[in-house]
Amino acid sequence: MNFINKKMLGTVMAGLLAVSLSACGSSGNNNNGGNASAPASSPAASSSASKDTGSNEKVTITFQNIYPDQTDPKYKMIRNVVAKYESEHPNVKIELDSLNTDQQKLKLKTQAASKEVPDITIVNPSAQMQPFVDADLFAPLNEMVEKNGLKDTFQSGILDYYTFDGNLYALPDGNNIALVYYNKSLFEQAGAKVPTTFEEMVEAVKTLKAKNITPIAIGEKDSWTGSFLFMNVLLRTNGGPGFLKEVLDGKKTFDDPAFTEAVDAFQSLVQAGAFQEGATSFDYNAGENLFKTGKAAMYFMGSWATGGIETSDVSKDGNVGVFKFPTVGGKGDPNQFMLAPGSAFAVSKNSEHLEETLDFLNYFMLNYPKELFTLKGGVGLAQVVDGDFKAAGYSDMAVEVMNMFKDVKGGDLAFDNTMNPGTAQVHLSSIQNLFVTKKDAAEVAKEHQTAFEENK
Amino acid sequence: MNVLKVSRWTIAAFVLPCLLLYVILVFVPIIVSFYNGMLDWNGIGTSKFVGLSNFDKMFTNDAYFWPSVRRTFLLAGFSMLVQLPIALFVAILISRYVRKTGFLVSSYFLPVILSVVVIGQLWKTIYNPASMGGMINQILIKLGLDSWTHSWLTEPKVAIYSIILVALWQYLGYHILIQFTGIQNIPADIYEAAKIDGAEGFKADRYITLPLIVPIFKISVVLSFIGSLQSFDLIMVMTGGGPAHATDVISSHMYNMSFLSMKYGYGSAIACFLVVVCLAATLFINLLFNRLDKRFS
Repeated sequence: MNFINKKMLGTVMAGLLAVSLSACGSSGNNNNGGNASAPASSPAASSSASKDTGSNEKVTITFQNIYPDQTDPKYKMIRNVVAKYESEHPNVKIELDSLNTDQQKLKLKTQAASKEVPDITIVNPSAQMQPFVDADLFAPLNEMVEKNGLKDTFQSGILDYYTFDGNLYALPDGNNIALVYYNKSLFEQAGAKVPTTFEEMVEAVKTLKAKNITPIAIGEKDSWTGSFLFMNVLLRTNGGPGFLKEVLDGKKTFDDPAFTEAVDAFQSLVQAGAFQEGATSFDYNAGENLFKTGKAAMYFMGSWATGGIETSDVSKDGNVGVFKFPTVGGKGDPNQFMLAPGSAFAVSKNSEHLEETLDFLNYFMLNYPKELFTLKGGVGLAQVVDGDFKAAGYSDMAVEVMNMFKDVKGGDLAFDNTMNPGTAQVHLSSIQNLFVTKKDAAEVAKEHQTAFEENK
Repeated sequence: MNVLKVSRWTIAAFVLPCLLLYVILVFVPIIVSFYNGMLDWNGIGTSKFVGLSNFDKMFTNDAYFWPSVRRTFLLAGFSMLVQLPIALFVAILISRYVRKTGFLVSSYFLPVILSVVVIGQLWKTIYNPASMGGMINQILIKLGLDSWTHSWLTEPKVAIYSIILVALWQYLGYHILIQFTGIQNIPADIYEAAKIDGAEGFKADRYITLPLIVPIFKISVVLSFIGSLQSFDLIMVMTGGGPAHATDVISSHMYNMSFLSMKYGYGSAIACFLVVVCLAATLFINLLFNRLDKRFS
């Protein structure tokens, strides 16, 4: 009897031990999970607080953002504005979740799949945010944007890219155009002249190449960079914006001459040796660094690169100039640009503190342009900036870029902002392929058309 | 089991927590993946049940699927047929000729500890075109072999082999360590007995080391095979599957589909394929080695 008891006791003890062990294990897991998806657990913890929205209740707002780079003016800006807001609203705590762009995209998708979107998050315009809007994850900002005159600070028309069925779902952090930066001393060294047509550009490429200078830097491992340039060529060969729109509406196909001409023009650039060797293994930063360190003569990019180029060695003594992407085969208008409405702040529909979050975002967006202007990050904003750039110490190049904005007569969005992700991926790798193999334009067109029809 | 003299319940109580964790973390996700593989779903919004059409598309109508499978097996093949024999050879040499083995073995092991991102960046600069200071190309040019230079990571035909080389280099030390330990565990008196019988050097290796290392070698084979099937990080760092899918393997294709093209259902279908291949391969390898074991014992 005694023996059996002992044995039973042993079993029970063992069981207890096992249970406690597994309990430890699972609670450890929970902690980890909580940290990773803070937005999910923190609102839940204070969910009772939000119901009566008393101003003294402690409120925590999670602010997912893409400003982790300490050298970026936006890094300082977001912290300054948050600190100011917190001091004015002692009951509100803003938790920053700073990630780089790719990480943030992936994290948001994971969070969206489990409906645990952070209070404020970052999305990209048009087609890229469509799936999130369709999944009904964001709160409409229509009323909020009217408060304190926030809506009037935005450039006219820019909010359309974030509006679906009459509801505004996100507020952009910038509005950029694509342009070509060039290294004046390298151009001089090679005796090349600043091109005014695409054909001259190809000539300039050959001249530079002959002097062993890399003509154009590109980070084509991140395949959107090449696509961005290609789409600018297409914008010219199509004689104006709207090619993809017309494809979407069924009025045109990718077999259209405008598209094949663009492919051929683009290939002539590649075949002339325009890009650095091994371009497809350079990521965005590595590509840009080639230009920033004076190893490449030209760099085609959105105006968001201005700040970084301005502070790099290459632009000492006003060495960097800019020009608009030229006409291709005499077609197109240089004042039509590739437009890049920036990534944008959206608010989770299921936020436990919706009211406070909206109030904060309103405050944030009102202070956003002012703060960035003083931090020298004022180029390429979606909002109207008061202030004299020249007097505030911006370089000639930055002022030149700012002036380009005044010439904008419409344009196109990037491919992946217009088409759905499935088609966009095929397009991206198809263009990437042009960097390494010469292809028949008709074949490229067919590849696009097939992908488009399959992913409709 | 009864040797332990504890009741079945006790055993169950001890095994249960681990079993539960295992089931929750391994089996449930696999089953969920199979289900997801039958959905037309972008990962966020509403989903539609489409039966087996994802699998159908994968096998018959995806231009990049079979090539990516081929590359995955290419990597596995190189790993098993080139890397492991070299590792075994080096391990035998070390154990025979080197007194203080610690330093050598740890140096071979070093790349395994390094982060794949570091390794990827390192080799990217080694592979760079000569104009960007790439080491290999510069050496080739110095040797007068200009025609042998390539941009190793961006020429579609060469790129995958360049990556395979790095993968082999990184994990060579891992397999050397495993097999070296295996050799060390072979009792010395067997060799001494053989010596008396006149079997020395490579003859001893042929008749003693090789048969006795089989169980350890099996571990290496399984690890290298499964590791190759799952290879992802190195490829993402070095080429991202590009240029234009030329270095895509199963897992990078799966990632592209699930997260970039936002076809989560389709990506899950690819994941299922990967699981099945892994299981089948493990079974096959086990079977093969059981035969080998029997032949030698």
